[in-house]
Amino acid sequence: MMTFRTRVYVAVFAVVAMGTGACSMPASTTDMTKTSAPIADAGGNDWTTYHGTYQSWHYSPLTQINTDNVKRLRVAWVHHPGKSTRGLQSMPLVSNGVLYYTGSYSRVWALEAGTGKPLWSYFPKLNDDLVAAQTHSPYTRGIALGQGKVFVGTVDGRLIAIDQKTGQPVWDTKLVNSEKLTVGFTGAPLLVKDKVIIGSQGGEWPGRGPIFGVDAASGKKLWEFLTVAGTEDSKKTWGNESWRTGGGGGWMAGGYDAETNTVWWGTGNPAPLYDWSGFEWKTSGPRPGDNLFTTSVIALDPDTGALKFYHQELPHDAWDFDSAVGEFVMIDRDGRKLVVHPNKGGHVFVYDRKDASIVNVWQLAQNINFVKGVDPKTGALIGRRDLPLGKHTNLCPAIAGGMSWNSGAYSPKTGLYYKIGQEWCMDLEVIKTTPILEPQAQLDIGANFTLRNPEGGKAHGHLSGRDPVTGQKKWEVQFPEPPLASLLATGGNLVFVPDSRGWLRAYNAETGQELWSHNNGIGHNGGIISYAANGKQYIAVATGWGSLVGDEFGGLFGEPFKSMAKDAGALVVFTLE
Amino acid sequence: MSYMNRVVAFVAVLTLTATVAYSQDRSETPASPPTADPVVGGQLFASTCGFCHQDGGRVAGRGPKLAGTDRPDAYILNRIRTGKEGAMPAFGRAFSEAQLRSLVAYIRSLKDEGR
Repeated sequence: MMTFRTRVYVAVFAVVAMGTGACSMPASTTDMTKTSAPIADAGGNDWTTYHGTYQSWHYSPLTQINTDNVKRLRVAWVHHPGKSTRGLQSMPLVSNGVLYYTGSYSRVWALEAGTGKPLWSYFPKLNDDLVAAQTHSPYTRGIALGQGKVFVGTVDGRLIAIDQKTGQPVWDTKLVNSEKLTVGFTGAPLLVKDKVIIGSQGGEWPGRGPIFGVDAASGKKLWEFLTVAGTEDSKKTWGNESWRTGGGGGWMAGGYDAETNTVWWGTGNPAPLYDWSGFEWKTSGPRPGDNLFTTSVIALDPDTGALKFYHQELPHDAWDFDSAVGEFVMIDRDGRKLVVHPNKGGHVFVYDRKDASIVNVWQLAQNINFVKGVDPKTGALIGRRDLPLGKHTNLCPAIAGGMSWNSGAYSPKTGLYYKIGQEWCMDLEVIKTTPILEPQAQLDIGANFTLRNPEGGKAHGHLSGRDPVTGQKKWEVQFPEPPLASLLATGGNLVFVPDSRGWLRAYNAETGQELWSHNNGIGHNGGIISYAANGKQYIAVATGWGSLVGDEFGGLFGEPFKSMAKDAGALVVFTLE
Repeated sequence: MSYMNRVVAFVAVLTLTATVAYSQDRSETPASPPTADPVVGGQLFASTCGFCHQDGGRVAGRGPKLAGTDRPDAYILNRIRTGKEGAMPAFGRAFSEAQLRSLVAYIRSLKDEGR
């Protein structure tokens, strides 16, 4: 029996063997009688889960669009969802000739993948008063497909299953008391076997940031793992019962290792975000201790929600450099099964998939001084820069992170991992705010801050192609501002970068040479995929601007960001002319 | 007592200000405008507002600069209560009248340094 990894390689080679002019295509673009292709089978014509496959490569093996002909890439069709408050931030999915995607306010569309013809739409009725009170809202970053259903989380705390063929709701399960906690769901769910797994928002909101396992057939909640003190032992890492308002959460979709039946998920930062105890954080302040399982990668049994193992990337995160960002890139190297995970602080952690033991840690962002380093053998932080009450200058990276939440990409053809790094710093004043002793309905930050240029340079971003295990850089491209959208690698030896000014750019995956660009007229802050329908390969990208990180750009970089619309966005789909 | 009211009550104890005004049920309407304390407002600002209004509201960032604003108090109070879709959350359910007025008092205390 082939392993799922073997099947992926077979799929890759099959497509490559067909040459650049031919892809294996579905017979019909609208054959909605079929259920989704198995997520583990990956690649081919479809893109059936947020990170592309469970391996989180954000890679399409399709080769019809390649380095030789990408200059002939043109817009095939556009879909305007309307009311794109804070821009389109989602990752489209494609199955059997139908493209599904979600926009702001958890609205879902099904479109003919070859033409963009609308097939159905579903607009959940939301609690408008609640949505108006939310900070990280009303965007929705993705959906899950499977068992004949489309699964979407809502910003008011529900998980909804929609019939994949008709667009009619099948079940609607309330999971989070968003009316009390303000937070809901903005991240994509992950389908694992017969369960839908989704993590709630958390971070600087004083709750306990649960991750849920829900029966895909019925919508019944099967388990709940609290990312804040989810075990009795871990409560001891929160002094003065501060776990009651600890934050956490798991607001981006994780990955799944089918060989060990393990779900990998990244967790958010603790609350309050900044901690006036400074160097005394182990014994005093609003949340004394390590604060498990915030800013951690955790491994869960998808059948029970039980914690298998974990690694806390930043014990007692005092900087908002959480682990909820990014992808879990699963690769094999020298007989070891590894997972590569970027942390918002700017380091990339490489783990052994059997137990989250550290294989390596390497630095992607250049401007980092919140720690002097991270031990590449143990993952231990070296030389923490804790932040006592008062003013601090030039903390790097800024709160927006050395990496943001959108995903990089890995190409099995080049063996390179492509990732955006962000270079910026900030000045801040840590303030002793009123302790929050019960979950409440607003942010819990604890500082005032201002973003700034790094000393001796200007804030900027960069794309690099690197060895995912060692971090060795093969090439790098500089950007005047950090691109904030996800990346796409393809079998055509291309890397696509949707940038912040609105240009979608294609690079040679081996060399970093820019080969093509197109102006979409507004910044990008969402997903990008490739798929095939009716014999043609397509690239689909979400456009639109206005995320919480993007909101920083006007003050830091000026135009075109000061005047860039934050209520617009469209799905733009390209193919060869 | 709701969670929010407990938090509101805790604020009152800590700040040693008008205890009755701070701990009352926010559904009650006070006979006169509650005390506005810029220090209390500054603490609240750092908890919930400084995330967007940078350097404590002194410079433009995610949100606009507030120091030196020419908007009248009523406008600012209304904006905090009702928010602005896609840009600023509505805090009307989160803050008491005294807290809202303390936030305005804090904003008014900011010096416009021309940044």
